[in-house]
Amino acid sequence: MGGKEMMRLKAKPVMKGVAEGKAIVSRMPISFTGGMDPDTGNIREPGHDLEGQCVAGKILVFPTGKGSTTGSWQYYAAFKRGNAPKGIINVSAEGVVTVSAIITSTPMVHELEKDPLACIETGDYVRIDADNGIVEIEKTDR
Amino acid sequence: MLEGKQGSGARKAMEILLAYGNCYDAHRMIPVTSVHMAGNFPVLMDEGIEWLEDLARDGTKVAVFTTKNPEMYDFEQAEELRIPTIYQVRQKRIHEALKALGLTLTYSCHHYLVGNVPRFGDHIAWASSGSQVFANSVIGARSNRDGDHVALAAAITGVIPEWGMHLNENRRASMLIDVARLPIETYGPAEYKALGWHLGKLVGTCIPAVANLPKDMHIEGIKGLLYTLTVTGATGLVHLVGITPEASTLEAVFGGVHPASPDIMPSQKDVDKAFLEISSSSEDKVDMVLFGCPQCSIQEVQEIAALLEGKKLHPDTQLWICTSRWVKTLCERMGLLEIVRASGARVVCDMGAADGPHLYLREQGVRVIAINSARGSYYAHNLFGMDTWFGSTEDCIRSAVSGRWEGRK
Repeated sequence: MGGKEMMRLKAKPVMKGVAEGKAIVSRMPISFTGGMDPDTGNIREPGHDLEGQCVAGKILVFPTGKGSTTGSWQYYAAFKRGNAPKGIINVSAEGVVTVSAIITSTPMVHELEKDPLACIETGDYVRIDADNGIVEIEKTDR
Repeated sequence: MLEGKQGSGARKAMEILLAYGNCYDAHRMIPVTSVHMAGNFPVLMDEGIEWLEDLARDGTKVAVFTTKNPEMYDFEQAEELRIPTIYQVRQKRIHEALKALGLTLTYSCHHYLVGNVPRFGDHIAWASSGSQVFANSVIGARSNRDGDHVALAAAITGVIPEWGMHLNENRRASMLIDVARLPIETYGPAEYKALGWHLGKLVGTCIPAVANLPKDMHIEGIKGLLYTLTVTGATGLVHLVGITPEASTLEAVFGGVHPASPDIMPSQKDVDKAFLEISSSSEDKVDMVLFGCPQCSIQEVQEIAALLEGKKLHPDTQLWICTSRWVKTLCERMGLLEIVRASGARVVCDMGAADGPHLYLREQGVRVIAINSARGSYYAHNLFGMDTWFGSTEDCIRSAVSGRWEGRK
């Protein structure tokens, strides 16, 4: 067991607040309408790289949003049912995901100084400080 | 507003807009002239209804003309259509919350045909990706891909952050599509939808310019192309050269420079492939034909009624024409309703073909749907688990009469 590797990156805040937890990383855009089940927090889009995986309570890292503009309602329902992520990191924030974070006060950042999809792997422990625009990544021993 | 002097609803609305504007580096708020809200019960769910009720609680009202997308059933035919009580109870709550907020309760997705008509250059907030791309590309009004929460916040405060599609520099084309290799003069709405399906996958979030479209391109063809492009893609503006107000010439949309060569020149083979991809069924039997995604215009109902005249639907196949209450009133006045009814078909309003009727239709045994909308096919299959056949209006009507899919497969 070696020492844990830490990384600290600057990021642009989308929704303020602080959240930490295990990361779940997707390389594909996500649609909350049709693409995520509010009853489980599972990604359900056929062929998606997170298909069948649960994002609830995690730090969800993905490129950007896509699909229906009604996605913020589905995200809100998932949040109220305890099945939303704790925090969101996007490469580039799109309107539907941004509004989802705003109405649920979910800490969210985008435009990191380095590509989050290259720096963060599923299972890493990630802390988002959206008040100060900082993301801290603790790599998991592999 | 942020201090809550105008109520908690106005404060919540301004908080949403400020956070949204900050995220996109908007320098200021600008007045908005028209708003349209999209969500209905299948996407709102119980939590969304509560959010709306909370917003309306202390007398919050919209300050801007705001129309509403369709709901999931025809309010005046609820008993006849056997709509389960669970949906009717929730629909009533949505209706009351929206009424309290002061929305204009059109329950229509062709709101630009029933009174919500912005002008060229107006800043608007239209949720629903199809009507947003229509506003930007056909009317030349300016709307981002906002979604309902931002649209409602804009309606309440009367302003929206200035970013994205609201700014001239973000409305230039970044990709040239040339349709010169296609037999475009022979295209009807179904072919334009197949073309849109193909192009959407290639454009992603880019703003494309489409050259060599017929100058007399029919509005149903334009709607078919645009509404489908936003299903497989996420673009908010498509410059139809010679049709879009800002796109009189190619130079005009590429910042004064004529692009050297097209980025994409689709072939008829591409369009044929897309046409077949839109269908998701493999079973020949058709339980139901659904028209109206977006809701049928009066011209579309006239065409459907002419095709239905003198025919009888197969006893095991239903046919619904989804439209707005205005168009239904016209149908009645013009005798179209009688023709439709005589064939065994039905005109339904306050709902569209992709707005969730599938939830109760499935309980009633409907599994395979034939539809003339690529958008409707996508949502019926991906959101509501139906099997679908996509084809022209004629294909769908022949299938309603024979009870089996008669179009391309």
